[in-house]
Amino acid sequence: MAAPELDSDVLIVGSGASGAAAAWSLSRGGLRVTCLEQGRWVDPSEYAHSRPDYELARQTSFAKDPNVRGWAADYPINNSGTPIYPLMVNAVGGSTVHWSGHFPRMRPSDFRVRTLDGVADDWPFTYWDLEPYYDLNDSMVGVSGLAGDPANPPRSPRQTPPLAFDAGCEAYLRGLENLGWHWWPCDNALISEPFGENRSPCNCCGPCDIGCPIGAMSSAHVTYWPKALAQGVQLITHARVEQITVDHAGQATGALYYDDHGVRRSHTAGVVVMAANGVGTPRLLLNSTSARFPNGLANNSGVVGAYLMFHPVAFVSGVFEEVVNGQRGPIGGLMNCQEFYETDLARGFVRGFELQLSRSVGPLSVANGGILGHPVPWGSEHHEALRSRYAHTMTTSVMLEDLPEPENRVTLDPELTDAHGIPAPRVEYRAGENTQRMLEFSIARARELFEAAGAVEILVDPLVQESGWHLMGTCRMGDDPERSVINGWGQAHECSNLFVIDGSTFTTSAAVNPTSTIQAVALRCADWLGRNYRDVAA
Amino acid sequence: MTTRILTPEELALLSLVQDELVPSYGDLPPAGTLGAALTVDAYLAEQPRLRRPVLTTLRAIEVRAGKAPFAELDAGRRVEVLRKVENADPESFSELVKQTYNAYYTRPDIQASLGIDNPPQPLGFELPAFDESRLSRVRAMGKLWRDD
Repeated sequence: MAAPELDSDVLIVGSGASGAAAAWSLSRGGLRVTCLEQGRWVDPSEYAHSRPDYELARQTSFAKDPNVRGWAADYPINNSGTPIYPLMVNAVGGSTVHWSGHFPRMRPSDFRVRTLDGVADDWPFTYWDLEPYYDLNDSMVGVSGLAGDPANPPRSPRQTPPLAFDAGCEAYLRGLENLGWHWWPCDNALISEPFGENRSPCNCCGPCDIGCPIGAMSSAHVTYWPKALAQGVQLITHARVEQITVDHAGQATGALYYDDHGVRRSHTAGVVVMAANGVGTPRLLLNSTSARFPNGLANNSGVVGAYLMFHPVAFVSGVFEEVVNGQRGPIGGLMNCQEFYETDLARGFVRGFELQLSRSVGPLSVANGGILGHPVPWGSEHHEALRSRYAHTMTTSVMLEDLPEPENRVTLDPELTDAHGIPAPRVEYRAGENTQRMLEFSIARARELFEAAGAVEILVDPLVQESGWHLMGTCRMGDDPERSVINGWGQAHECSNLFVIDGSTFTTSAAVNPTSTIQAVALRCADWLGRNYRDVAA
Repeated sequence: MTTRILTPEELALLSLVQDELVPSYGDLPPAGTLGAALTVDAYLAEQPRLRRPVLTTLRAIEVRAGKAPFAELDAGRRVEVLRKVENADPESFSELVKQTYNAYYTRPDIQASLGIDNPPQPLGFELPAFDESRLSRVRAMGKLWRDD
């Protein structure tokens, strides 16, 4: 335990996927844990799924982009320097409050890209080091899927069976079987049968991206948080952290934050754990300047905020003559095709991508462009065009590995601030040459798939602007303090009682959705911290 | 009819415009006739950021219509005016179109015409269970991941 005069043993900043998992893990061992969350609990009555205008929520109260959504807890982001907008949810549960729930694991090769492919850096641990924490995490959150995928190492049985297989899946399957490509039902953080308390199995209602009102989606606020709170974790909502404080020796002492009345408060702790996502965490560290850290906490190397990675996403939609009812069933959770995942230099790029074979949306969203930016035309052609797409469309996301580049980064905006006057983040990003070559190739493969499946029309959005869900790399892990911010346990090289556990820890991005890995990494770091707390705490 | 943002003249013009954007279809009346303009007025009241593009577009339509009011133009000329306004400021025009679609496709009667009887919850949908036998070819592909 830390000194009794401290408010907590461990202070966690952020209650999303990683913060929730760490809060649960650390409190199991009896540590006094407090979590500061700038958002609030989302009341189930706020979900729009029972209203005929539910699709409007995508544009308003449950918009992906915080600059559009404008919740009181949201902070502005200057995204004028990036073609991909950072997306997030600022609430208890973080961005798992409304998401697609794709829950794949990274592959062994993803942790060793320098060794295997001569690019970027290896992670400071291997897939096999992380595997027990993947298993632990799956058992906590509840995953639907099927073990046995030959494109991935063997894994523990999934908690619930794969999700439904309907007409849209049959359409995809025509193409996949014609081409002889790999496919497998997705692992999803979405239960298909009863699992856990106060949760209902998925009833295939469709729009997971505007939240899940029945608790089928394995979001952090329905999985880890009830258990963490039962173990005594103190969760303070509406708490907007301004900076992490340090003592004269450069050790973290806690945080300054504004409470829900706008009163500036201090919270002291023996260890500070950053879990505020790949934009929020570097923002707060950069804003935490002191004589010891004039460029921001743990940033004498200049690496905090650098090496930002997204997963650049292209959407390719196929329109079929037959009814595929893509608006029914979980929007994201069908099948993955990992035919092109590992490096093949004959393709003209290193590393690879996966095709996420997903569903579609309701009539309003189809009219406004569906998942893509292709609105149905107005005028005399409108109704026929709408009826040719609605219930006839399936959409594939092309998700590729983004290599870390130091120029892609999060900094503090010199002018823009949030409601408390705290500098807002500015995001600068451009897709590198390898990424651009991979995008071109992968879009062509998605087209090929839809052609083989018999689609009568194929629509493409070659780089989706609103696709920056996956915020990675901005406090990267590594063994070299000149090229990384934290070590393999999440511990800052320059500040031994500061830890980072969210997506910003990623050394490389892999080509799969990161939340499963974010939570596994958080559990691994928390496990180590719990066992070494006495040696680490200030 | 009480509006919150639009003047009665703007409401009438928007309604006519919406009839061209989403015309009648079978037994379904066009969007403006169904009252979509009043719904858009409510959106403008709730979301101030929408006002500039929508109001700018309505003014541009009046200007493009020339001496004759938009209401007195025949259908072909109305569409011609709208195309010109769209080409001159596609971003603002697309916002007006988007809000018209929002008003139209959130109506239960329009949804019913597309076969939608209920919102997604609480009933959801019953879909067939996954059939593992479909994976036989893929299972036979052997190890596809790399760890060397």
